[in-house]
Amino acid sequence: MTEPQRPGKPLILEVKGLSVAYGTKIAVDNVSLEIERGEIFGLLGPNGAGKTSIMSSIEALIKPRSGQVLIDGIDVTDNPQRAKAIMGVQLQATSFQSELTIRQIVSLYSGLYGIRLTRREIDERLEDIGLSSEAGKPFKQLSGGQQQRLALLIAVIHNPILLLLDEPTSGLDPQSRRQLWGRIEHVRQAGGSILLTTHSMEEAQTVCDRVAIIDHGKLVTCDTPNRIIEKHKDDTRVKNVAHGDVTLEDVFIGLTGSEIRD
Amino acid sequence: MKYVTSYEQAVSPSTKLIYGSLLKADMLVLVKNRRSVVLSILLPMVILFTTHGNKAQQRLGGSLILVGLAITYGLMSTSMLGYTLAVARDRDAGVFQRLRVTPAPTWMIITSRLAIQVVANLVIALLVVIVGASMYHLTLSPGQYVMVLAISILGGALFLSIGLALVGMLKSSDTVNAAGRIVFAALIFLGLFGISGALGGALQFIASWSPVGTVMDLFSAAINPARWTSHDSLSLLVTLAYIVCFAAVGIRWFRWDTH
Repeated sequence: MTEPQRPGKPLILEVKGLSVAYGTKIAVDNVSLEIERGEIFGLLGPNGAGKTSIMSSIEALIKPRSGQVLIDGIDVTDNPQRAKAIMGVQLQATSFQSELTIRQIVSLYSGLYGIRLTRREIDERLEDIGLSSEAGKPFKQLSGGQQQRLALLIAVIHNPILLLLDEPTSGLDPQSRRQLWGRIEHVRQAGGSILLTTHSMEEAQTVCDRVAIIDHGKLVTCDTPNRIIEKHKDDTRVKNVAHGDVTLEDVFIGLTGSEIRD
Repeated sequence: MKYVTSYEQAVSPSTKLIYGSLLKADMLVLVKNRRSVVLSILLPMVILFTTHGNKAQQRLGGSLILVGLAITYGLMSTSMLGYTLAVARDRDAGVFQRLRVTPAPTWMIITSRLAIQVVANLVIALLVVIVGASMYHLTLSPGQYVMVLAISILGGALFLSIGLALVGMLKSSDTVNAAGRIVFAALIFLGLFGISGALGGALQFIASWSPVGTVMDLFSAAINPARWTSHDSLSLLVTLAYIVCFAAVGIRWFRWDTH
């Protein structure tokens, strides 16, 4: 993996002092992040750490208590429609209208992003992801891997400059996972930036240019996986959980604790 | 691989294209929900056919009341069992959240579904009034048909707002399903037995000012506008008040996702 060249690349996502609260519970506490063009950025954290709240704020699904989210300079709170037009989203649990066929779903979502696709163009795109023979089937009849492929196709149907993926490989077999990473890499090569959440530290270490570890709503650390390992490998908490060479997972567990979160 | 071409600055899609796409998809969803559509047409037809030419017609208040009752039940069925359950189910499944991360404004997501439902309500009302008029030998002028369609929009709005209130107050689609059916059954009961006076004066009074009673009254008056009374005007006001109250409850407590 190559280390990202930080200076000179335009910032696609800027999260500045983001705080999210649900009643009295603070889910995200003054988090700041930046993602450059063409960068794959991983957001890591135990369950309930605040990852989904950060993603939801970027997606303009929730209003932060304070802070600012800019996508290519567009303020998500002030101009949600414009911001949504330049980002693609794959939610953790993707669901489409159960009555619609795959072809109809692609037609609907391309329209929502301002793209008119003919039936032939839709079929070509479905062929690209190996779903041409499933075009007339409803979403629920697809396998988990097929559903993920369709969800990703829809997320990138408008060539977004920022792609948000919430646990994209969750529940996928190794083949589907490998294929998905290939497609994500292709998005990056086309000039898109990717922000993803994952519970797989191995994947994050291999695929992400930079990662941020979040816990209890706060940013614990943020850098390239290698630098994070280097920075924390001598931390007693990390040493206590490491077996052999320190991995990103060791650092993650060392910094966030071993107890199981709900 | 064509599925991502190159980085390009996306533009905000046009309102017309977004709304057109939503309307088309919602229309497809409604048409594919055959059970709901068939039930919404079947129920009023069953009422018309089973009460035609027998004593029940007299007991229930005559042909105008029966046609009004049939249309009202059709609207109740499609709005409360069709629309409401579809919204609750899609919310549970995360369909709304997926739509909300697109550039489609939330008002478009809501009104597109409502617009398609209003069209369905108009089709049901028109079918019932045509069949009812033919069965009971009622001759309706174009103006009367227009009145019936206008009341259909109003009645449909009332039952949709009741459905919206249920979806707003209850989270799980199973609970909405159960509560929707209980309210539906209660309103059917009130309409069939309460309004006729078969269950006593007190219940007749309650039934006549219930949502089903006021809408039935308006349909009867729309079919025969020459006999429009101050009671009908009051029914109109009460119907409007119901719509405002139920819609306010639904909008106030509506949540886009249940997780």
